[in-house]
Amino acid sequence: MSLKYDQETVQLPETWKAKAPLLISAALICLVVGAGLCFVAGKSANVPGVSATKYVMHSYLANFMFLFSFSLGALFFILIQFLTRAGWSSSIRRVAEIVMAVLPWSAVLFIPVLLMLFANDTSLYEWNQSAESIENSVIRAKVGYLERGFFTFRTVLYIGLLSGIALWYFGKSRTQDETGDVELSVDRQKWAGPMVMIFSLTASFAAFDWVMSIDADWYSTIFGVYIFAASMMAFFALMVVMCMSLQNAGKLKDLVTIEHYHDMGKFMFGFVMFWSYIAFSQLLLYWYGNIPEETYWYKVRLMGGWEYFSYGLIFVHFIIPFLGLMSRHVRRHRTGLFFWACWLIVVHWMDMTYLVMPNVPGGLPVLPLVGHFVGGVGMLLMLWAFFIIRSSGVPLVAMRDPRLPEALTYTNPLL
Amino acid sequence: MSDHKPKTTNGNRPPRAFGWMAEFSDEHKLLEAARKVRDSGYTDTDAFTPFPVHGIDEALGIKPTKLPFIVLCCGLTGLSLALLMQWWMNGVDYMYIISGKPFGITPASIPVAFEMTILFSAFSTFLGMIALNGLPRFSNPVFTSARFDRATDDKFFLYVSAKDKYYNRESVRELLAGSSPDHLEEVIEDSSPAALPKAVWLGALLLVLTGLIPAMIVLNMRAGYSTKPRFHVFFDMDFQPKKKAQQTTTIFADGRTMRPQVAGTVARGQLDEADSFYLGYDPAKLAAMEAVGNAAKLVSVQDGSAPAAGAAAPAAGATPPAAAPNTNLPWLDKLPIEANEANMKLGQTKFQIYCAACHGYGGYGDGLVHKRADALAQGFWIPPSSMHIDRIRSQPVGQIFHTITKGQGKMPGYAASLTPKERWAIALYVKALQKSQNASIDDIPVDKRSQLEPAAPTAAAPAAPSK
Repeated sequence: MSLKYDQETVQLPETWKAKAPLLISAALICLVVGAGLCFVAGKSANVPGVSATKYVMHSYLANFMFLFSFSLGALFFILIQFLTRAGWSSSIRRVAEIVMAVLPWSAVLFIPVLLMLFANDTSLYEWNQSAESIENSVIRAKVGYLERGFFTFRTVLYIGLLSGIALWYFGKSRTQDETGDVELSVDRQKWAGPMVMIFSLTASFAAFDWVMSIDADWYSTIFGVYIFAASMMAFFALMVVMCMSLQNAGKLKDLVTIEHYHDMGKFMFGFVMFWSYIAFSQLLLYWYGNIPEETYWYKVRLMGGWEYFSYGLIFVHFIIPFLGLMSRHVRRHRTGLFFWACWLIVVHWMDMTYLVMPNVPGGLPVLPLVGHFVGGVGMLLMLWAFFIIRSSGVPLVAMRDPRLPEALTYTNPLL
Repeated sequence: MSDHKPKTTNGNRPPRAFGWMAEFSDEHKLLEAARKVRDSGYTDTDAFTPFPVHGIDEALGIKPTKLPFIVLCCGLTGLSLALLMQWWMNGVDYMYIISGKPFGITPASIPVAFEMTILFSAFSTFLGMIALNGLPRFSNPVFTSARFDRATDDKFFLYVSAKDKYYNRESVRELLAGSSPDHLEEVIEDSSPAALPKAVWLGALLLVLTGLIPAMIVLNMRAGYSTKPRFHVFFDMDFQPKKKAQQTTTIFADGRTMRPQVAGTVARGQLDEADSFYLGYDPAKLAAMEAVGNAAKLVSVQDGSAPAAGAAAPAAGATPPAAAPNTNLPWLDKLPIEANEANMKLGQTKFQIYCAACHGYGGYGDGLVHKRADALAQGFWIPPSSMHIDRIRSQPVGQIFHTITKGQGKMPGYAASLTPKERWAIALYVKALQKSQNASIDDIPVDKRSQLEPAAPTAAAPAAPSK
């Protein structure tokens, strides 16, 4: 079953290919400049007991999570497509697969954090010292688990598992490009269930270890779900931006229709709601329990200028996009959807900032945040570059997928 | 619906025509015909198919539904009502403190607001859909056609109603015939009698009568009398082969179901009753003392008022109702645990968790609970005692332990929350706290005096609360 389509339309645009080295260098420059700005601004902020490295490391971690979450979302999306044997997404699945397949590359960017651990730095993870030297008895009790050797082992395990799943699915998909074997789809469907379970545990524990442990005294069992919800929303926003950019560059013609955008828009809308649901669930329990060791996580986010950021997030991350994406006319309008996708990518960066940056004492650090933003832009450029490099020689649509005809004739029912 | 429909004329009037119905054998021809009808300007049309046909809405020219707007409005109504309700209930009408949370709209209102939004949206979706579709509709003129039955099987029907404002019998017929249907027929009025058949009436009557039976039985039982004993549905549940406390039995010679303690055993929880470590006083000495009145004395200690003093108010700060009966009891005045740094720390931690909320960190009876209750000016609030009044300061450590264990006045006992050792540690800490608030410079070892800042004299206490 091969469809007669112009091979040209499923190739990466020539203009993009040439950009890859430029993007990588721009991304690295952004990361370095961002870190530098963070350092300088942090130094001049001169908060007692807060080193400038603390700003840089927190900013780096937040931006790393920003980058990593897109691939995380893509991986889950792919698994769910096979778990549900979805047909509608066959024509956009390859773009998602490429985002998924850059997961190991994104993960490489976690190495600086590990290096920092072995340089005995405690600016990011307070638990990275001998138990006797930690004043907080709760953190002292957790050192046995968070100890850097075990932490590194777990990090390698998480990345290994996630990369393994991603590359296995990507590999099967690529083989199908050659052979068109239906069994390859059946195989992926068969394993999707167990893989989703591995994914959810891995992603959840990774979120605990990487992000939650910067504040090792505090704990939230829903934290992994929070990161997952944010990642899914960010991924769908990225998908909309990527597909539209490719189409604007003259690719994927007729293969991605307004029906697919409509569905991705629905997912965006749904995960805006889901993120809010999870974020609120966490807040409500801590607000109701009102136990000091739990509420201070919110306390630091509601003082020293962070309150504007945190309360603002309710509006920009929930109320405004919720109302904005509510109408199907917006979700079926290319420009409208593109606007909201860009919006959600930006607020996702804000969300990651909100999770990590308030851990630096001293209130909202306006100037370091500028550096942090530059770093965030760098991470986006890095993701784009990864996408281009990963997709060289890879068709942008899985042309021999047995469900492709279903995707091409797919329509949403008229309401 | 099969071919049993009678085609008899209804009186003298000829049956009315309701429109034209075309029959097709596949959905593509139906869609094509529907588009033609739509393009000719007819709007009062309908299609009947065995399965949902993609694109039929567009082919029939059905406008996008208004339902989403109805749902949005109802959802917002639900949201507003939920917030208004909670604001009114907890903020205005019945201000009740729940876990010390503020009144009115709080984060706790959001789940209810969310549920109400969903509830209103769901109901408006369901009912709005019913209403917009003109449901419930028990009959349709097209049912008169015998061929129509195959609409649930393998045929596709397109119907143009005579109520359409551009309807013209001949031109509609020509238009439909133009799309070459398998069959074309005029839908005519169902001439079968409109009255319900007698069998239906009878059936309904029977149902109503059957439904009355339980009510009649209940009525009969409530109004009448019976000499028969009560009917036991589950006899062995009403009369179980077991004995309860204080009942008699024929199994044992003494006829009691409750058995005396077997010699040489200790009942659960009674082991502690003989040990001053668990009591705070020496039970042997108490027993040796005059038996009469001892129980009364203990009761008086727990109530916080001596029976002799009668009218004395239980409130702290009031004249202590003769400390004499308490001091007569053989309280332990020596700690059964070691007075070391670790026990002091333990006592401090537990004191700050369990006691400070009411008694305050300094033990002055000015904890947050007291301050809040005081601010609310609730008449029934009895202020917690200050530990620095003479009555409390003169209490032996065993009595303080006893108070923590059993409670006093409004204060509950903490035996369930704290182990005996922890209670002794708190007693130790309270003693230290009392000493710290009445300390002089001579109480401080000479080598530690240099650490003392003249500006903060209370910091000299060995275990004064650090924060």
